[in-house]
Formats: sequence, structure tokens, C-alpha cells
Amino acid sequence: MSIQHHLSDDTLLRHAAGRLGAGLALVTAAHLHGCAHCRGRLAAFEAVGGALLEMEAPAAMAPSAFSNVLARLEERPAPPPVLRAPRRAALNLPPEMTLPPVLAGCDIGRWLWLGRGVRYSRVRLPWAPDANVMLLRVAASRAVVSHAHAAQELTQILHGGYSDSTGQYGPGDIAEHDETVLHQPRADEEGCICLAALEGGLRLDGWMGRVQHRLGL
Amino acid sequence: MRAGVIQTGGARVQADVSKHEAKFSMGLRGPTLRRGALLTPVDAPAPLDAAAQARLLGLVATARDRPAFAMLFKHFAPRLKAFHMRAGLAETAAEELAQETMLLLWRKAGSFDPARAGAATWVFTITRNLRTDQARRHRGGLPEPPPEEDLSPSAETLSLEAERAARMRGALATLSEAHRQVIELSFFSEAPHAGIATALNLPLGTVKSRIRLALSRLRDALGAEP
Ligand SMILES: [Zn+2]
Repeated sequence: MSIQHHLSDDTLLRHAAGRLGAGLALVTAAHLHGCAHCRGRLAAFEAVGGALLEMEAPAAMAPSAFSNVLARLEERPAPPPVLRAPRRAALNLPPEMTLPPVLAGCDIGRWLWLGRGVRYSRVRLPWAPDANVMLLRVAASRAVVSHAHAAQELTQILHGGYSDSTGQYGPGDIAEHDETVLHQPRADEEGCICLAALEGGLRLDGWMGRVQHRLGL
Repeated sequence: MRAGVIQTGGARVQADVSKHEAKFSMGLRGPTLRRGALLTPVDAPAPLDAAAQARLLGLVATARDRPAFAMLFKHFAPRLKAFHMRAGLAETAAEELAQETMLLLWRKAGSFDPARAGAATWVFTITRNLRTDQARRHRGGLPEPPPEEDLSPSAETLSLEAERAARMRGALATLSEAHRQVIELSFFSEAPHAGIATALNLPLGTVKSRIRLALSRLRDALGAEP
């Protein structure tokens, strides 16, 4: 199925600039993995970075700068860090579903109850322990209590789908919400599994509020 | 007036930084707002054009050519340092990051693909990733595993990559100062929306809509993309 909902210009620009928080960047990368269209747009925004670098007025380097670097050219690069194996709970995902490769280094906790028909699993990024990332699983045809959003939320659909006032979302689609959105998503017949990151210190109502509470935000 | 002298295996390359300073150093410097570059004539002769950069990178990749590396260093290192200082890094940290970036340029030159990105864009992504890794380590994060695969953009955008940075400079030049400002601040400000709102003394909603508008103007100026 082709992707209907893409990343916004603003989010892609901030990703290109390296200015997205680690959680939002992870979900953005999950979408980019499956979306050549957004990868093309990202390349254009990275070219903005290249242009800004070229337009920069040169700042004098230290007199020893070049000889320092020259002396290090033959240095053997530091060996890649030994990463511990990620901790994974048994998630009982649908057999045809695979997790996006960007989750490879992440710890994933077991499903926890969040509300009727809604469960979440905490995703921990060893490189950014304070990032708020989770898998969400909404049961078939279940409507989620109307809720407001954190300052920014990104939700990448991994399996199944849902509909709300902003449209119909399926696998590969990404939903972007901010605190101005109030909506009531309803999961499709096969339910919905998605990867979500939230950022921003707004107190939330409804089930996202319970996520905040559980995560100790 | 400073002139950096670089020594490379007997060959002496004079990095005449002072000349560029005279040309570019007008206006304020600060961690977020820049005026100097906004006034910089975009058609000022670039010391090393995109084609030369790509050719030199190719020499570094295939022949481990040190004079080529010296020329790339002379061009990119002072710009990388200035770039990071504008983004709020102290001079020593910016200097260090510029040197680390140049070292990675030497090591990774083989992965530069001129069909995929302009040289300056490629250097930008290297230094951006270095800075992100550093910032995470400062906050107690472990290293992020490197991406498993190297995914390319869609075929229809591919042919445009190489020349894009040069055209992008032209397109940026056509924007109004207000629009160029929010795009630049998106790169140079730690917390883009809030940071821009503070720097420009604007409400958050105005910042967001201005960024949207600026990007759509940029897209118009580029033709159909990004
Ligand atoms: Zn997309």
C-alpha cells in the first residue's frame, strides 16, 4: 500500500539540521526507512545545510590545526564501541510484522495496560536515555479516548491502521500532532501497532496523560 | 590580520584567511542570530567551487592525496569552525569539532558519492552527526549503533543532488531576510521553534507559520523541489 501521510517540511528540516530530539529523530528515521519520497526531500534540506556551510565567513583556525590533523591521518580509528545486546521483551507481534531497523539498538519493554484496548511498551534508547519513545498497540476497532497532545508527537504506523478527523492511516504512514490537535482515533479491524515519540512538557488528558504518568514525566 | 600557514610534505600552502575576513566580516555575531551572512553577496567568488571540491575529495579517496586534503582543509575547516561557533559552541569546542570533521573527511572520503550529494552537503552531514553524538555523550548517552544500510533517495531526485548545494545558495538569496532568518535559525538554534521565537521576539505560532512559508518560497525558488 502506498504511503499517504508524510513528514512535514518543518520536521524534515529540523531532522536535516540535526535539531530534532533523539526520540523524534528515531521515529523520523523509521519513516524515512520506508519512504523514498521523504528521503529525497531530506536530501534537499541537507543541501540547505551544505549551502549555509559554504556561505559561512571563515573563522581562523589555530596555527597548529592542520599539523594536528595531519599527524593523526595514519592513526588507527578507535575500534567501534562494543554495544551490549538490547533487552527485548516478548511482544507477540503479528507474524507478518517486522520492527523498523532503527530500533535495532533499543531496549523494548513488555506490553503494559494503558486503558481499555490500549497497551504500550517502553522503548529505551541507550544513546538518549531521556527520550520518550514507545510502541502503542490498540485493539481492533477500538476508539481511543479523545485526547490532546504533547508539544510534538510523531507516530509511525507499523501494522494495521486507524482513522481520525485528520484522515486514514495505514502501515508506513506517519502522523504528526502538536498541542493544537484534539482528536479521537479509532483503530481498524486488524487493530493498530505504532511507534510514537513525544516531546514537550504539556499535561495531558486521557490516555496520553496516563502514558505521561506511567513514564513519570 | 592572520594568515594560517599549512605545512604539507614540503609544500607550503598559504591560507589567506584575512582576505575572506575583510570581505565577510560585517555585522553581528551571536549564538543564534546572524546578520553578516545575510548581507554576504552570494555571488562572491567561492575559493573552491563544488566541482573542485568533488574532484579533490575523489583524489583523497583514491590516492590518499595529501595536497588535495590540504586544499580541502583550507576551504572547509575555517567554515566548519565558524558554523559551529554560530550554533553556540565556544571557540575551542568549535575548533576541535572542525578538526575532527576534517579527520573523518579523510577517513570517509571513499564513501562520498558525487551523484548523491554535493561535497559541502556531505561535509555538513558528517559534522552534524559528530555534533549530535558529542551532545548525547555529554548527557550520558552511549554511542548509537551505526545505521545498517545506506538508503538512497528516490530515483527522480537523484540526478539533482550533485548541483543542488550551489543552486540552493542561489535560492536562499532570493528569500526575504525574514524568511532566510528562520531557515538559518532552524540550523543554528538549539531548540528551533522556541529558540527562534525568543531570538526574534515572535509568538511560537508565528514562527511555525513563517517557517512553513519560508520553505514554500524556497521550494518555488528551486523549481519543483524539495
Ligand atoms: Zn514519507
